[in-house]
Amino acid sequence: MDLLKMNTEQMMDPDEDEYVAPQITQFIVVRFGEEQYGIDIKYVDNIVRMQHITRVPKVSDHIKGVINLRGEVVPVMSVRLKMNLEEDVETKATRIIILKLEQHCNIGILVDEVKEVVNLEESQIERVSYEAKDDKSNFIYGIGKYDGGLISLLDLNTVIVEKEN
Amino acid sequence: MDVSQYLEIFIDETKEHLQSLNTQILNLEQDSENADTINEIFRAAHSLKGMAGTMGYKRMQNLTHDMENVFSEVRNGNIKVRANMIDILFQCLDALEEYLDNIQSSADEGTNDNEPLIRELNRILTGGAAEAPGKAAEQKASVTEDSASAAWTGITLGESEKVVIDKALEEGKKVYGLTVYVQESCILKAARAFLVFKAVESLGEIIVSHPSAQDIEDEKFENDFSIIVLSDSPLDQILKEAQAVSEIEKVVGGVFDPGAASGKTAEHEEIRETEDKKEHTVKEETKAAETPKAEEKAGAEERSAQMPAVQETPAASSAAPARQEKKQTTNKPVVNRTVRVDIEKLDSLMNLVSELIIAKNSLVSISASGDNDMAINSAFNEQIEYLESVTTNLHESVMKVRMVPIESVVQKFPRMIRDLQKKLGKKMELYMSGEETELDRTVVDEIGDPLMHLLRNAADHGLESAEVRKEKGKPAVGSIHLDAYQDGNNVIIEVSDDGGGINVESVKQKAITRNVITPEQAENMSDKDIVNLLFLPSFSTAEKVTDVSGRGVGLDVVKSKIEALSGEVDVKTKFGEGSTWTIRLPLTLAIIQALMVVVGDEKYAISLGSIETIENITDKDIKYVQAKEVINLRGAVIPLIRLDDMLDIRKEKGGDENLVVVIVRKGDKQAGLVVDELIGQQEIVIKSLGKYINKCKFISGATILGDGEVALILDANAMF
Repeated sequence: MDLLKMNTEQMMDPDEDEYVAPQITQFIVVRFGEEQYGIDIKYVDNIVRMQHITRVPKVSDHIKGVINLRGEVVPVMSVRLKMNLEEDVETKATRIIILKLEQHCNIGILVDEVKEVVNLEESQIERVSYEAKDDKSNFIYGIGKYDGGLISLLDLNTVIVEKEN
Repeated sequence: MDVSQYLEIFIDETKEHLQSLNTQILNLEQDSENADTINEIFRAAHSLKGMAGTMGYKRMQNLTHDMENVFSEVRNGNIKVRANMIDILFQCLDALEEYLDNIQSSADEGTNDNEPLIRELNRILTGGAAEAPGKAAEQKASVTEDSASAAWTGITLGESEKVVIDKALEEGKKVYGLTVYVQESCILKAARAFLVFKAVESLGEIIVSHPSAQDIEDEKFENDFSIIVLSDSPLDQILKEAQAVSEIEKVVGGVFDPGAASGKTAEHEEIRETEDKKEHTVKEETKAAETPKAEEKAGAEERSAQMPAVQETPAASSAAPARQEKKQTTNKPVVNRTVRVDIEKLDSLMNLVSELIIAKNSLVSISASGDNDMAINSAFNEQIEYLESVTTNLHESVMKVRMVPIESVVQKFPRMIRDLQKKLGKKMELYMSGEETELDRTVVDEIGDPLMHLLRNAADHGLESAEVRKEKGKPAVGSIHLDAYQDGNNVIIEVSDDGGGINVESVKQKAITRNVITPEQAENMSDKDIVNLLFLPSFSTAEKVTDVSGRGVGLDVVKSKIEALSGEVDVKTKFGEGSTWTIRLPLTLAIIQALMVVVGDEKYAISLGSIETIENITDKDIKYVQAKEVINLRGAVIPLIRLDDMLDIRKEKGGDENLVVVIVRKGDKQAGLVVDELIGQQEIVIKSLGKYINKCKFISGATILGDGEVALILDANAMF
């Protein structure tokens, strides 16, 4: 019951990244290459299989295009390209995770594989400082430790938001 | 009574009333004697006051109340309309709009009391009374005559009241006596009396009443009661205010003479003294009791229905905390955007929906019944055709529901031009036509700002000062035209002025000094290209930055706003004779007829509205002008655009001899888009690409095809 309440509270205030919940946060564990990343489940609207992506010309490279998600046109981006990794290779495991950061504004991200859902307590999350200047760590706000190993927790706002150069 | 559910209606109606006030006051400025106009204004102000009161917006109510007083004096002929009064009234309207904005965003009117404005209004009132002394005195005299025998003269004063009166007289206030006669049929005399008290207290202070306030509240009086009032306001205003309460037979009153009364007082002194203290406490009690009820006053006053005010009071005060609760929980705009829909349009929608259901049922029955394939097929086709006509009509009807006349936007412009006229010291006149032209509600909401920019521009930069105009042999009063009309699938809005026009040379120089273009580039640019530089961000040619325009944020905002609405803006100018700005907007935004084409292995939709013709050409038809591909089509030289190059489409470059060219048109310009294949014409639903895709300017949106695939919609207008 408490958990439920907490979740709804968080939903109402998605901007509050620093929400310090004494309870458990749920993450979806996804894989890019060899690394495991965690996506806070409260932002996840849906997970769909790979489908035809319509290319949109003249946009940033990491925007792969748009897909039809039950009658809505939803853009899809490649987190790999955004993080300066090699380009996505489509496999059977490839999924599109539809994120909902704001009302009526979805965006899909390509992941190599969706592995599982884990529950992490605050004590299992280690915040990273922003000293590390390399591109990848800018998209991570913490490291989660659990039985299966380490997962990098994606800071979705910086992943999604277009950085003005 | 929870009023929050009426908030939307309130906001809508307040907007309407404000607009009508704006228009009517403008009329009044032109024709200050027009009784119809004055009545109209009075009615609007009165309704505004009532609505604000009912909703519990007290500051708004106060302001409108004072405005209404002014209007009522004007209506009665006690005050003449003067220029400064119009100015103040306009300021009041602005203040009211501010309240409305606050209400719209937070359900709360804000904390601005606008006291200076209220003071100004009262000054007009008192000034007006002083100006027409003959009339006022006459009235007063007559009032005093028939009130000579009135009951209030019999009121006796205690010592403390006398002190209060003396003090008030020293301060220049006036002391009036009033006797109020309640209709005999009135059931809730106390409630009416209370409303009278409230009404009078809005203008002054009641110091004594007879019978005592407590007795009045307990309904221990016959059909009349008397009060002594201290006030700054003229007597007839107080009388009128009291008279405005329902079920009041009449109110008589006059200036109270403390000297005359004191004689009588002496006789009763002993009795009064004992009652003195009691009176005091009672007065305080009533005051305390009245405060929470205050909000309800005007509302109750409005309702001519015989609603028992006493019963409403607890309800009204319970509404207040409810509203406060609401205020805390909502910080987003509390009101959704609404469209008022003609009931006829809804009926036709309903009809279409029922037809749709019939069509669906027929399809179901066909598929259930069929044993003969041929028969099923033809029945299916028939139903599909029927369905098609129904959906087309449905689309049209829904579109019509979304359409609103641009009137709501352009109505505010005459007022703006009037203000500009004063601010800029130029003489100008605004002529509008086509206010009834309808556009999608979303477009109408957005079009206001760009139009305002263009009008300001025309007023500030376009029109010359009266002296210059005379030198040039133009009429001293400049004219600005705002014309709207429908042109096929577009709506055109033109803003034109007969001012100086755009000085192409000076724009060119400015562009060069600001490093927007090089002098060499400037050489090769046509006048039109140079004029179009004005739409670049931070490009203002105004010599000095004025309050009105010249900050360089105008035209590029206009352009981007209109392009966001998938419209376009264009300017034609003749130096010395004026300029015309043309805004072209699509009628509808959601569904369009489009031509589907294939380029490489991608499908694109091109809006049928911008397509002129489709041509088959061969390699040999392609000519080169300035190293660009063009074709000569029936005498017109049309540049070719290779869509695969433009959209970075990977494609085997085959030496295809025959090309399919879609000729698109924008205004009087044409271009040929080279495509690989035509699929056909289709009705498509436009979807937005979402905000995460930073806009590709050639793509105006996306649509979902029958097979579920997403196709992008090409914006032919952006190709030029």
